[in-house]
Amino acid sequence: MSSRRQFLARTANGFGALAALSLNALSAKGATRAPHYPAKAKSVIFLFMDGGPSQMDSFDPKPRLKKDQGRKLPFQPPTTVFNISDKILGSPFTFQQYGQSGTPVSELFPHVATCVDDMTIIRSMVADHSEHTAANYFIHSGSGFQGRPSMGAWVNYGLGSVCENLPGFIVLESGLIPPGGMDCFGAGFLPATYQGTLFRRGTTPVADLEPPAAERAKQREKLQLLSKLNAGIVQRFAASSEVEATIQNYELAFRMQTEVPDLLDFSKETEATKQMYGLGDKLTDDFGRECLLARRLVERGVRFVELLTPARSGFDRWDQHSNLEDGHRINAQSVDKPIAGLLKDLKARGLLDETLVIWGGEFGRTPCAQMGDAGFNKSVGRDHNPYGFTMWLAGGGTKPGLVYGATDEYGYFAVENKVHMHDLHATILHLLGLDHKRLTYRYSGRDMRLTDVAGNVVTDILA
Amino acid sequence: MRLAILLVLSVRILMAQPAAQPPAQTDTEFFEKRIRPVLSERCLGCHGQVAPRANLRVSSRASLLQGGDSGPAIVPGKPDESRLYQAIAYRDNNLRMPPTGKLPDDVIADFRQWIAMGAPDPRGETPSAPVVKGIDWEQARRFWAFQPLRPVSQSIDAILKPQGKPVPANVWLRRVTLDLTGLPPTPEALAAFLLHPDKAAAIDRLLASPQYGERWARHWLDLVRFAETNGHEFDNEKNDAWRYRDYVIRALNDDLPYDRFVREHVAGDLLPNPRLSADGAYLESPLATTSYWFGEILNSATDSVKSRADQVDNQIDVFSKTFLGLTLACARCHDHKFDPLPTADYYALAGVMHSTRVREAVIDSPRRQAEIAQVLSQYPARPASTRPKLQLREGEELFTGFDAWRGEGQGIRVSEGVADTSGPGSLAATGSLTSPKFRMPRFYVHVLLQGPKYEKPKLGEGDLRLTLVADDYKSSHFFPTGAPGFTWKTERMTLSKDRTCYFELVDRSRTGYLAVAAIVISDHRDPPAILENAAVSPFTPNPDLEARLPFSTFAMISQDEDPANVRLHIRGSHLNLGPEIPRGFPQILRRETGPVSAGSGRLQFADYLTSDARPLLARVMVNRIWMHHFGRGLVRSTDNFGRMGDAPANEVLLDTLARRFIDSGWSLKKLHRDILLSEAYAKTVPIRRLEGEAIRDAMLQLSGRLDSTLYGPSVVPYISKYQDGRGKPPSGPLDGNGRRSIYIQVRRNFLTPMFLAFDYPLPISTIGTRGSSAVPSQALMLLNNEFVLEQARLWARRTIAEGRGPDTLVRSMYLEAFSRVPTSDEQAAALGYLQQHGDNEESRADLAHVLFNTAEFSYVQ
Repeated sequence: MSSRRQFLARTANGFGALAALSLNALSAKGATRAPHYPAKAKSVIFLFMDGGPSQMDSFDPKPRLKKDQGRKLPFQPPTTVFNISDKILGSPFTFQQYGQSGTPVSELFPHVATCVDDMTIIRSMVADHSEHTAANYFIHSGSGFQGRPSMGAWVNYGLGSVCENLPGFIVLESGLIPPGGMDCFGAGFLPATYQGTLFRRGTTPVADLEPPAAERAKQREKLQLLSKLNAGIVQRFAASSEVEATIQNYELAFRMQTEVPDLLDFSKETEATKQMYGLGDKLTDDFGRECLLARRLVERGVRFVELLTPARSGFDRWDQHSNLEDGHRINAQSVDKPIAGLLKDLKARGLLDETLVIWGGEFGRTPCAQMGDAGFNKSVGRDHNPYGFTMWLAGGGTKPGLVYGATDEYGYFAVENKVHMHDLHATILHLLGLDHKRLTYRYSGRDMRLTDVAGNVVTDILA
Repeated sequence: MRLAILLVLSVRILMAQPAAQPPAQTDTEFFEKRIRPVLSERCLGCHGQVAPRANLRVSSRASLLQGGDSGPAIVPGKPDESRLYQAIAYRDNNLRMPPTGKLPDDVIADFRQWIAMGAPDPRGETPSAPVVKGIDWEQARRFWAFQPLRPVSQSIDAILKPQGKPVPANVWLRRVTLDLTGLPPTPEALAAFLLHPDKAAAIDRLLASPQYGERWARHWLDLVRFAETNGHEFDNEKNDAWRYRDYVIRALNDDLPYDRFVREHVAGDLLPNPRLSADGAYLESPLATTSYWFGEILNSATDSVKSRADQVDNQIDVFSKTFLGLTLACARCHDHKFDPLPTADYYALAGVMHSTRVREAVIDSPRRQAEIAQVLSQYPARPASTRPKLQLREGEELFTGFDAWRGEGQGIRVSEGVADTSGPGSLAATGSLTSPKFRMPRFYVHVLLQGPKYEKPKLGEGDLRLTLVADDYKSSHFFPTGAPGFTWKTERMTLSKDRTCYFELVDRSRTGYLAVAAIVISDHRDPPAILENAAVSPFTPNPDLEARLPFSTFAMISQDEDPANVRLHIRGSHLNLGPEIPRGFPQILRRETGPVSAGSGRLQFADYLTSDARPLLARVMVNRIWMHHFGRGLVRSTDNFGRMGDAPANEVLLDTLARRFIDSGWSLKKLHRDILLSEAYAKTVPIRRLEGEAIRDAMLQLSGRLDSTLYGPSVVPYISKYQDGRGKPPSGPLDGNGRRSIYIQVRRNFLTPMFLAFDYPLPISTIGTRGSSAVPSQALMLLNNEFVLEQARLWARRTIAEGRGPDTLVRSMYLEAFSRVPTSDEQAAALGYLQQHGDNEESRADLAHVLFNTAEFSYVQ
């Protein structure tokens, strides 16, 4: 890792004038802001299960569905996106109890299941939107519309960054951007500096991070020339702080160029670690890399890391309107071992206490079989269901080994200890030491919040 | 006049009822044992005495009878009619209490029994009188923004008395040129000005240049959340959005009076005397009404009513902020908390918006219509079409009545119930036919159609199609297949069933036609049997006539449809309707405009804005112009002139400018001239960063790549390998063909990264003031981006092609980029680099690149 001192030494000649100028700005850039109250969690890793994994096939067993398979629901379900599901579908997966807590987990997640005693499973999540894009905006920003600040942006706005060389909100992907696109990770009306930076796979993960090969060799000299040509400008522009900040950004930009290759270099990780994350295995390598990179980012002080579901040919995302069994199996296999590896690795390094891990999708799925005109067969799937679904948290001051809330016996509606998405957002901020009602930004004549005008901290799940 | 308010008031007052007689002992026991504990534990937390949710208190019988925002909570003796019971029974998916989980069944049964008993409740407390925070209108009108303009006649400098020295002539020229055109002055313009430093002449020259309209149109587009795609999941295109952009550029270059500009935005399709395009081919005025329709569109709205209500909300937000600096959208759920904008005002304007729809229109001028008709009249008469005979089954219906659809253009022909788009038999004839809106009742749509094979293009919706539009999303297309005769095409209404839909038959193609003989909406997957097929008369293309047929102009504009008032949405919920609110406009500014008597009310809205609201309309606009010239507005919150906004830094100056603006006939160019000729502008303007668009345009000018072509369809943005997601278009050229940034297509989900890095406003709502952040991605972009490097190289090549020697090189580049000569230090540093690395294209490109990266390049002094 390159420190500022090393940087100054490297560039003492020529670029030094620029460097000397920048000391103040750098400490400002890396500055943290005091939380509203003391908190354990310093960082968040959000495992975003794009598409909406099924609760009754993962963490919320519903034996009634098996019994009533093929029958119609005894109540009129709400309008769904595809609106063609009314026959009950039992889970094709078996559940088993795990850990001291005896928490049931389906066969989809045998590795994550071994971590249940570190997890808080919320079976009573509720969201407001039935289709992907609005739901994606909603889980990220607390609003179903495009262009509002994402959680990661709010957290960085609230706490500042402890990392000088990397953005505070980083999104990792493996070939799939969720519906709604980059606006899921935007800064909205917050200053642009808080927006999520997408790290793509490969050695140059960020656009314009590195100069083209031909430019690389001479960049130092060009920066030295730049420094000389900028020298008179600050004076000419009457010492505008904004102009100074613009000039100083070249230093941060330069440091990012050197930091990122170091970040991506896994050569110092042990074989055991790589194995634990599932690196090298065809199915788990993508998400394993994301998980390992997430740990390395959190170690470097990045506030908010979001991991996106990897592309899986034929079964993209958790959105199994058809082929639920095969699709959920392959999506689960892709993330199960890496997630368990991440949880165990964070715990072993003492990082789990200060890292809040969040798992979940934009909504859950219906208890009914979606089958269109083909009728009831193995290729059926499930439709979207924001009225009751499962997310889980681990670390960061959550109560371990807890199952919280419940859906009805069909798994359709949350009926006990409902946790609305606004409540979850309030709780996430609380775990980071932020009061969701005080974390505001004036926009459009209003003091805007991640939680809009709602949200209650779910105190029952705090450790 | 304040009927809406009175209605709301009276509804609330009627709800209050006297408390009943004390209940009998056993009834009391039932209440105490079974009901009161539940109310205390599960309800009082939110519905207690202090700040109760939904204004509902459950703390006494009288409170329950009085109820909250949605009416009485209990109807004694009638549990099924009692909202309290409906809520705890979880019968309605949208009314479920307690929200954290359903009460046990036996408790719910207790409540049922209790209400059936007459809801005995001994609690003696009387409800506090309903708190209706009335608006004191006299008081409200005293707020500065709602006052008439003060009579003032001083000049800007007499008011501001600017101190200090004016900036040097070259700095002034760079400032004013960038301000007015978004491009740096050329060295030739600079030399001419230094020779004859006539500021008025320089300003007039810049205002007369077409680049002025391009520059200021972009400022305007920030206000109307201009975008050329729908966003959301697939980011489909909004047809013809670019025509609106061109409209704005032309209006500014023509110095269209601002009040007329506003009238055209609100009701350009309804004005009795629409303006014509310069070539006289189409109506200019209706184009402004595209501004209603730049919002995001959901591809699969699950609730049509809510989806439309959200769209209207965005329209209200944009129109009230853009024109009046009012945050009327804050009054969607409750009366505005700070400004005199009651919820009724919101729904009065919502009624206007709800009575307005978008359509794919033909806006040919009368002259153009006659020219087209003249050519079409030379085709021989066509025999009538033949109606098909179909064997319809149970569970399907014929969607009939092309005659009732709205036809546009002269290609549409309806004969014997068969619609086609070839007019009298011309492939080049064009037009559109739009059905009324309806709720899609079934899962299948079978269309009996005929036409030469047409495939949907990679970008855009295609120009020969029958389209089903669901909640303004073009969700299913029926393209002609090229099969002989009429054949069925079927689409499943997976995402459209139960949604608000309409069909549009569109032919914008000069080489094809589409005929539709039947639309069957059906429960059956297979189309019905054809007993006797339809037929249209065969025709032979006539290349000669078709080449002579003048073009029609298509545009997405507004039209009135089913004008009606809407009911107030209690707490903003479309599922909880209050009284009907007459269509109208915010009362605080209302003077002369009466209630809406006919149509949507957009014509009256235009009158209201330019007459009743004239002082505020003028203040808001002059403040926007001032902000762009001085970096900040006299009212810093440019989109909020309410109490939560900023007070004017100089009220006299604001009113002076507003009054002069009105007196000048709402001339923006005169307003610019006033401001720019002031001493204040020469002395006191702070340093400002340029927008990403201006930075890019300046690079293109210096590299010589700038293509100054005006107008036309947008250039698809360049898509790098770092941009991904659904709806990704095939990439456009890296340099946007050298076109100015305003012509780069605004794709919601693929906004140009270079613009975003420099605080480009997301197209979500009115953004009158852009941010000016300093983030490392700006440095990375200017250092490493391939577009920037390419322009640097082109600039270097141009210096070589023009034969500039090393002696004049640095000086000439400084003049081009910064309108000044380099200092000796700068000259030495630059030449030093060239000497060290050799004076060749490579080194000159390095120098050009470094100049792009200097702070001076992105800032205006």
